[in-house]
Amino acid sequence: MSGTQNAPRSIVTTESAPVRWLLTGIALLFVALFLVIPLVSVFAEAFKQGWRLYLAALVEPDAWSAIKLTLLTAVIAVPLNLVFGVAAAWAIAKFDFKGKSFLITLIDLPFSVSPVVAGLIYVLLFGAQGWWGPWLAEHDIKIIFAVPGIVLATVFVTFPFVARELIPLMEAQGSEEEQAALVLGASGWQTFWRVTLPNIKWGLLYGVILANARAMGEFGAVSVVSGHIRGMTNTIPLHVEILYNEYNFVAAFACASILALLALVTLAAKSYVEWAAARQAAEDRRHAVE
Amino acid sequence: MSIEVKNINKRFGDFVALDNINLDIQTGELLALLGPSGCGKTTLLRIVAGLETADQGSILFHGEDATDTHVRERQVGFVFQHYALFRHMTVFENVAFGLRVRPKHTRPTEAAIKQKVHALLELVQLDWLADRYPAQLSGGQRQRIALARALAVEPRVLLLDEPFGALDTQVRKELRRWLRRLHDEMHITSVFVTHDQEEALEVADRVVVMNKGRIEQTGTPEQVYDQPATPFVYQFLGDVNLFHSRVHEGWAEVGGTRFAAPEASDKAVIYVRPHEIDIQRVATDTALAGVITHVRLLGATVRLEVNVAAGDPVEVELTRERYVEGRWSVGEAVWLSPREARVYAG
Repeated sequence: MSGTQNAPRSIVTTESAPVRWLLTGIALLFVALFLVIPLVSVFAEAFKQGWRLYLAALVEPDAWSAIKLTLLTAVIAVPLNLVFGVAAAWAIAKFDFKGKSFLITLIDLPFSVSPVVAGLIYVLLFGAQGWWGPWLAEHDIKIIFAVPGIVLATVFVTFPFVARELIPLMEAQGSEEEQAALVLGASGWQTFWRVTLPNIKWGLLYGVILANARAMGEFGAVSVVSGHIRGMTNTIPLHVEILYNEYNFVAAFACASILALLALVTLAAKSYVEWAAARQAAEDRRHAVE
Repeated sequence: MSIEVKNINKRFGDFVALDNINLDIQTGELLALLGPSGCGKTTLLRIVAGLETADQGSILFHGEDATDTHVRERQVGFVFQHYALFRHMTVFENVAFGLRVRPKHTRPTEAAIKQKVHALLELVQLDWLADRYPAQLSGGQRQRIALARALAVEPRVLLLDEPFGALDTQVRKELRRWLRRLHDEMHITSVFVTHDQEEALEVADRVVVMNKGRIEQTGTPEQVYDQPATPFVYQFLGDVNLFHSRVHEGWAEVGGTRFAAPEASDKAVIYVRPHEIDIQRVATDTALAGVITHVRLLGATVRLEVNVAAGDPVEVELTRERYVEGRWSVGEAVWLSPREARVYAG
């Protein structure tokens, strides 16, 4: 609307005022109904009976263990996917090889498979009745209904985020800068650190933020492999479900508010990254014009 | 340093990019690889650089086999068509890159790097841009920085892939003269790829004309222009009119003008450049009758398009003065006679 003061709205390209108000109104109503009110209600429910109960619900041992497990899962899964994502995007964007399109499809698989199915895959492989179950039991290695299973399931569902973000970016940038670095005598490692990585840093950060949000919020796949052992294999989303089913609404919403908070932080970080990347691009353009 | 290219073959799937290429590049010369797009010139350059590997054949640097030497160790300077400057580094850091990535024991000190980079930036006359980023430079400036960056590692050979291809005409002309002067000062063995015959003829000591993965002719600019070895070279190095003729007793003819035909063929193709044709208003036995259909003013020269009874329209080039003197106009009946021609078996 601020644009109306500087540049008068062109009559020939806009709808009439009632239509504009109606459309804008519908959009705002939709946003309020489906996004703002639920978010506010999470915090409202959480704080319904005051600060003390809210805090008590969070520091309670089972809740605290769920928070720690969620953080641990993210700390393992996100760096793994970071390394994998960069390696896969590098291979796909900078080289030609047989089976490239198959690899791209494979990377997208976690997006197209239901998370519950993803969890079941791991139960089938590592569960007591699964393929490798007996061998694992023999060697006393616990994967299903234990932390490794949760990490595996989380790695699976967050698999595509980093790679998906980087592949188009790297393909657009081409590999001429890398070739130039090689001709100038740089090793592969030097080329990666000094040329490739600085060029993809914003896209990489963006992918990591999305992967992290998904890693902390994942429910379906983790639910299947976790076994819901309180204080042991419950992540925050699973803990919220248990508390809710026990009619412990304040505690459930308190834990849910942490996830909501995480979502808000992620959004803020994502916006910042987008803003910073756009600003850099704009600066490049501005200088180019000078 | 001299380069020898021996029996190089390269295929991309079914496409033959290079078909048994042999080429000697002398120490200190400036060589142009000239040809239409897809003729294999860039592939050949990249194979010499080590950015691409040949299916067969070998590359010798100064008599030593460099076929299996990694691009990193070949000590070549490579200038890319689209500059390939490191976009997140300043001009200074771009030029310094090749020095900074050296292993510790051969890496110059910070002071030495600084001195060297500034010397190179002065050489390309862009010292005042040291703190800028590539995106802040014009195309011509970027390409000069790319050249400075390539020279920083003191390459034994300088390879340039369509170095002026992405620039506009004025800048191109300026830069290619500048490259020629730079080469005269430095005498570094240089190979550049181009599809622009004017550029190749103006800049290079020697021109290699390529077509469909083969070398058509190698020679000085004068040799390839004045004594084209094949019809392709003749056609590629300037505009040309084609006439088809039967051969009678060793002679082919255009209109009535006779030219010696190659032996052992009964048909010939006669190539005549537009400026090698005389135009007049009087009919003679040896002239070709036609009608002027178009007049195109091209600065100092004028092109007349003349429709003749058989075959494609003929292009005739006149100087501006002769055009004004003759007062040629569209629709006029004229008679053409070629002064010179090149005849190939057809």
